[in-house]
Amino acid sequence: MRRTTAATCAALIAAFGAGCATSGTSETKQADANAPAAITWWSTGGDDESAAFQKAADLYTKSHPNVTIKVQTLAWDDAYAKLLAASTSRSGPDIISGGMTWTIQFGLRGGMVDLRKYGIEQLQAQAQPAQWKSAVSPDGTVYGIPLDMSTEALYYRTDLFDKAGLKEPPKTWEELTADIEKLKKSGVKTPFSIDWGNLDWIGYFNFLYQAGGSFYTPDCKPSLDTPQAEQALSYWIDLHRKYGAPTDTVTTSDALDQGIAMVYGGNWNALGIDTSKPKMKGKWTIAPLPAGPAAPTTFIGGRAVGVTSYSKHIQQAADFVKFLYTDEAVDAVTAESKARNIAYIPPRPDKIADSPFTPEHSAVFAGIIKTGAAAPGCPGWDESASDVAKQFQAAILGKADVKTALAEAAKVMERNAG
Amino acid sequence: MATHTAAPRQRWRRYGTSYLMLLPFLGLFAGFLVWPLANSLYLSFTKFDGVNAPEFQGLENFRHLLFDDDRFRHALGNTFLYVVASVGIGTLLSLGLALAFSGSSWPHRIMRTIFFLPSVTSSIALMLLWKWIFNPGDFGLANTAMTWFGGRAVEWLATPGLTIPILVLMSVWGGMGYGMVLYVAGLNTIPQEYYEAARIDGAGTWQQFRRVTLPLLRPVTTYVVVTGLIGAFQVFEAVYIVFRGTNNIGGVLDSGLMIVPYLYDQGFTHFKLGYASAIAWVLFLIIFALSMVNLRIGRALKEL
Repeated sequence: MRRTTAATCAALIAAFGAGCATSGTSETKQADANAPAAITWWSTGGDDESAAFQKAADLYTKSHPNVTIKVQTLAWDDAYAKLLAASTSRSGPDIISGGMTWTIQFGLRGGMVDLRKYGIEQLQAQAQPAQWKSAVSPDGTVYGIPLDMSTEALYYRTDLFDKAGLKEPPKTWEELTADIEKLKKSGVKTPFSIDWGNLDWIGYFNFLYQAGGSFYTPDCKPSLDTPQAEQALSYWIDLHRKYGAPTDTVTTSDALDQGIAMVYGGNWNALGIDTSKPKMKGKWTIAPLPAGPAAPTTFIGGRAVGVTSYSKHIQQAADFVKFLYTDEAVDAVTAESKARNIAYIPPRPDKIADSPFTPEHSAVFAGIIKTGAAAPGCPGWDESASDVAKQFQAAILGKADVKTALAEAAKVMERNAG
Repeated sequence: MATHTAAPRQRWRRYGTSYLMLLPFLGLFAGFLVWPLANSLYLSFTKFDGVNAPEFQGLENFRHLLFDDDRFRHALGNTFLYVVASVGIGTLLSLGLALAFSGSSWPHRIMRTIFFLPSVTSSIALMLLWKWIFNPGDFGLANTAMTWFGGRAVEWLATPGLTIPILVLMSVWGGMGYGMVLYVAGLNTIPQEYYEAARIDGAGTWQQFRRVTLPLLRPVTTYVVVTGLIGAFQVFEAVYIVFRGTNNIGGVLDSGLMIVPYLYDQGFTHFKLGYASAIAWVLFLIIFALSMVNLRIGRALKEL
C-alpha cells in the first residue's frame, strides 16, 4: 500500500513538473542570417498543390543559393492538429499554410511571427482587399497573408436549361426561384442544390451579404438583428423547404451528373467535372451567383501563409513569403497548377486571368472576386461559427423560427466576443 | 538484521535478470502511457491552449463541464443512447450468430469468417463505405434500395432523427462478428453432459438455453459487454468521417455529437487542451464506474 502511494505521488509530481515544462513561448534563437538555411513549409492541401508551391520555392533558391525550401503536404483532415502539436513542442516547420484564420489563431497564442516587422504590408495593394482584411488579425497584426483564393459559382446544366426553354442563367434571387419552377415543370426532379456551405454559415454568408447585411458591424458588434439578415435567412429557408434544395450535401459533380440543374459549388469543381464525369462534357458551365436585392457579393475563402515564431530562420522565411507575391513566383505556381490540373486562383486579382481554368471560367471567377467578401475577422468569430451554423440549421429544419434563430446566433457571437 | 538485508539481495539474485528484461517494456510503458496519462491529469486542472504554458486553475474545467456546458450534456446524452443501443443490440446479435454458427462444419466456418470480416477491415475504409451507402439523392445504395421498393429518397445524413440509429447500425454491423467469435469460444467450453442431464430432467430447448447456456456464458457476456461499453463510449471515426460538416464535428444540429468527438473539437479546433483533458478524465470515470457496476452485477448473478 505504502509503495502504491509512493508511486502515485511520484507520478503526480512528475506530471506536475512535466506539465509545467510543457510549451511556453520563449524566443527561438535565430541562426546566422548569412549561414545556409534549410526551411520547411507545411502546406495544407494535396501533394499536387505542394508540388506547385515547390516551383516557387525552387525559384527562390535560385536567387538565394544558401536558402533551400522544402514544401511538405499536410492533409486537410489532420493538418490543424499537427500544426497545434508543432506549436506545443515549438519544433516543426518554419512556414505554415492552411485555412484563412489559422495563422491568426496560432498568432494570437504566440505561435506566429508578426510579418509587419519584415515589410509584408507592401503586398496589401496587390491583394484582394476583403481577403487581405480577413487574413489580418483584428488588432492589425499580420500573422499571415493570403496564399490563394477560393470562391463560389453557379454551376448549371446547359442541356436541362435548353429543355426548360431557359436562355441564360438566373441573375437575381427572383430569377433563380422562377427558373427552379420552370425546370421543375420541364421534368427536373431536383432543380437546385448547394454544395459548398450547405446548412453552414458559408451558405448563409452569400445570401446575407447579397441582401445588404453582414455578420458584424464595422466595429465588430453582432449585426444579425436586421431586416436584411431576416430576409436572407427566409430566402435560404425557402430554397430548401419550398423549392426542394436537398439538406444533405451532394458534391457539385455528383449533383450535375444526377440531373440537378443548378448547384452552388466551389471553384475547385470547375476542373474536375469533365474528368470525374466524362458524360457531363459540354453539358455544363458556370455563372456568378444570382445577386440579391442589394449586391452580387459572393464568399471568398482561401489559404493563408505565415512564419512560425519557433523558426530559426524567421528573416529568410519572411522574405520568401514576400517573394510568393512576385510575378515570377505566381507565374511558376500557375504554370505548375495548369500542368497538374489544380484549381489554383492566385492571391493577386490581376493574375486571375492566367489561372488554370478555361478563359471563360477564369473571367467568371475574376468578376466574382472583384465584388467578393471574406469571413468576418472579428474577435470570437472562429469560436462562434459552428454554433451560429447550428441556429441556421434549426431554422431550415423547421425547429426554430427566423427571428429566434438569428437572435440565438447573435447571442453566441456576443458571448464569444469577450 | 543480517537476515533482513539478505532477503532483498537474495530476491535480486533470483529475479534480477527478469527485472532487467522487463526494463525495456517498463520504460516504454512509463514513457508512452503513464507519463501522458499523468500529464493529461495535470492539464485537466489547467487552462492550456497548446502554445502558451498551462495556467493552473484548480477544478474550474470540471465545474464548467458539469454545470455550465450544454453541449457536453448533449454529447453525454447522445453517447449514453448510442452505448445502450449499440452494446445491447450488438451483444444480442453476437449471441444469436454464435448460436446459429457455432458448429465445425464448413458452412458454419464460412459464415463465421464472413461476419468476422468487418472486425479485421480498416475502420476508416468501412466508414467511407457507409458514407457512400447513405449518399443523398439517388446516388447512394440505401436510396437506390429504397427506390426498388417504391420508396422515396431519404436525406439520411442530414436528418437529425436518423443520426444515432445510423451510428448504431454501423457499430452493430462492424462489431457483432467479434462478439460472435467470443461467444462461440464460450459455447464450446460448455460440457455436453450438462445438456444431456438437462434433457433427462425433461428440459426443453428454451429451458436448456436459459438454465444452462446463458449462466455458463456469463463470463463471456461480461467481457463482451465491458469491452463493448468501452469501445462504444470512445466512438470517434464514425462521427468524424460520416457526419462531420465543414464547421461542425457533430453533424446537423449536433445530432451525432459524442464525448470523444467533442473532446477532439475542444482540444484541437478550439485550442482548449486543458478542458479537453478534463473531458477525457470524466469519460474515464464514467467508463470505470459502469465497468465496475457491470462486474458487480456479474458477480451478484453468479452468487444467486
